[in-house]
Amino acid sequence: MKKLRVLLADDHNLIRAGLRLVVAQQPDFVVAGEAENGRQAVAMAETLAPDVVVMDVGMPELNGIEACRQIREKRPETEVVMLSMHSDEGYVLRALKAGARAYLLKDSAEADLARAIRAAADGKSFFSPAVGKVLLEDYIRKLERTGAEDTYELLSPREREVLQMVAEGKSSKDVANSLNLSVYTVETHRAKIMQKLKLKSVPELILYAVRKGIIA
Amino acid sequence: MCGWWDKVDDNKGVPRETPDQPLPRALHWVLTIVFLCLLGIMLGSGLAALHDLDQMHDAERAARRVLAYRSEQEMLSQLDAIRRLFERNDLLDSLELEILRQSDELRAWNDRQLQLTDQSMVAQFAQLQSSLTRSIVLSLASGFLLIGASMLYIFRLEGQMSGRYAELARSRAELEQLSARLVEAQETERRKISRELHDEVGQTLGALLVDVGRLSAALPDARPEIKNQVGHMKSVAERAVQSVRNLALLLRPGMLDDLGLVAALEWQGREVSRNSHVEVDVESENVAEDLPDDYKVTIYRLVQEALNNAVRHSAARTARVRVEQTDGHIAVMVSDDGQGFDPQRQRGLGILGMEERVRRLGGTLAIDSHAGQGTTVRAELPV
Repeated sequence: MKKLRVLLADDHNLIRAGLRLVVAQQPDFVVAGEAENGRQAVAMAETLAPDVVVMDVGMPELNGIEACRQIREKRPETEVVMLSMHSDEGYVLRALKAGARAYLLKDSAEADLARAIRAAADGKSFFSPAVGKVLLEDYIRKLERTGAEDTYELLSPREREVLQMVAEGKSSKDVANSLNLSVYTVETHRAKIMQKLKLKSVPELILYAVRKGIIA
Repeated sequence: MCGWWDKVDDNKGVPRETPDQPLPRALHWVLTIVFLCLLGIMLGSGLAALHDLDQMHDAERAARRVLAYRSEQEMLSQLDAIRRLFERNDLLDSLELEILRQSDELRAWNDRQLQLTDQSMVAQFAQLQSSLTRSIVLSLASGFLLIGASMLYIFRLEGQMSGRYAELARSRAELEQLSARLVEAQETERRKISRELHDEVGQTLGALLVDVGRLSAALPDARPEIKNQVGHMKSVAERAVQSVRNLALLLRPGMLDDLGLVAALEWQGREVSRNSHVEVDVESENVAEDLPDDYKVTIYRLVQEALNNAVRHSAARTARVRVEQTDGHIAVMVSDDGQGFDPQRQRGLGILGMEERVRRLGGTLAIDSHAGQGTTVRAELPV
């Protein structure tokens, strides 16, 4: 069986050692290499062609988000799992916009890392449960304080289905196949969802889904 | 650490405004006074001369009157003498002789009187001329003296003034330099401590947390008290990680380096919303990602301070942060719907700190606040 090749990028030896142990415990994973900063991670991703890069957000020389963007540009087939100390939506959204599939908090990295790497390798989204919780709390507080309405209530059941599948990382074609709809209809649903939720991009849509607990 | 926004008395503030140069105004006054004095002297001496002339005129008239009166008296006395001669019935010859003699005497007397009057007139005119000359010379001399003295005074004042102005400008420049260095030093120090906390303490604790997590995962069948112990260790480590992270973020938000200004401001807004009663809305437009670090830090600290004030002093319910970049400058606005204050009277160190940071970059800061009408802080920075 072909093993998943994982590149670890973190500027701290201790953290990297911890990650290496977790990855090495999985029989179907192999550590392809280790990078100490963003620049090195981009270079190693190009030469080692890993399936998944596990990347720390805050790194010297080139931060993880920028490194993620460059890796995804140069090697779209390599997926990125972002590791961060922050559950703030600013980080999550920018990581998603840079092309990351999964977003893990360092606190819970050892528990969820294997799942996150597998999900990312399959092209699916994965978020630490705590991230969704923080995003949801922010969202609810804002609704309560400003008296705005919960836009989720505006979606039809079919639109909610499409929202979940798109947020999970499925393409319009995949969604059309599994719901027995035409691609055109799915595209229309997507556009209506974006309009109703006032979202501008797929990363924002994924963030919304994480916040609402639709995906995790 | 947070002391720079604490309140201080009003009068402890550093003088901000340089006084306008008062020199042209003083000069104006001095010249006016000199001019008035000169005018007064001229007028005075002119009046004195007129008065002299008037006096002379009177004297002349009096002299003429005296002369006429005396001639009449003289004539009368001569006629009396002639009458007396007739009464004595003297000879015609002697009469004729007497008349001739009398008339000669009269003429001689008249000549003498005329000469005397002439002399006195000449003397009076000479006196008038000399008095006029004297007063003209006097007024000219005093005028020149006054002009000289006031010029001297003005030059001296001017010298003193420019000396003081230069001194003031120098000490102000020094003060600015000093406070700029202070701000810089503070920022560098914060970044260093934050980096140290985050990298060393935070990461070590993080690694510990990972280890404890693995330990607890590796002990599924252990005794409950050991599992409890490990669980407790994990929560302690988590708390430590959290507090170190918060401390590091307060000192220097990593977002500023990782994600740029806009993300850091949005994060800050959410953070304030999470931890206070104020709901913060952050908007930004056209803000360049590659702003120089000075600008990022200045705007970030400004917004941090303004939001802090809104939370601590204003009892606001909502606050709005708006950052907009247009050609050549960035406008930052933080407004709240709190109770407001009088920015002329209540100036905390925090506001001074904001002013200092903004001025370092050549920008301006305006605080608009009235009791009961909320507060708006506006800053404009040239880019």
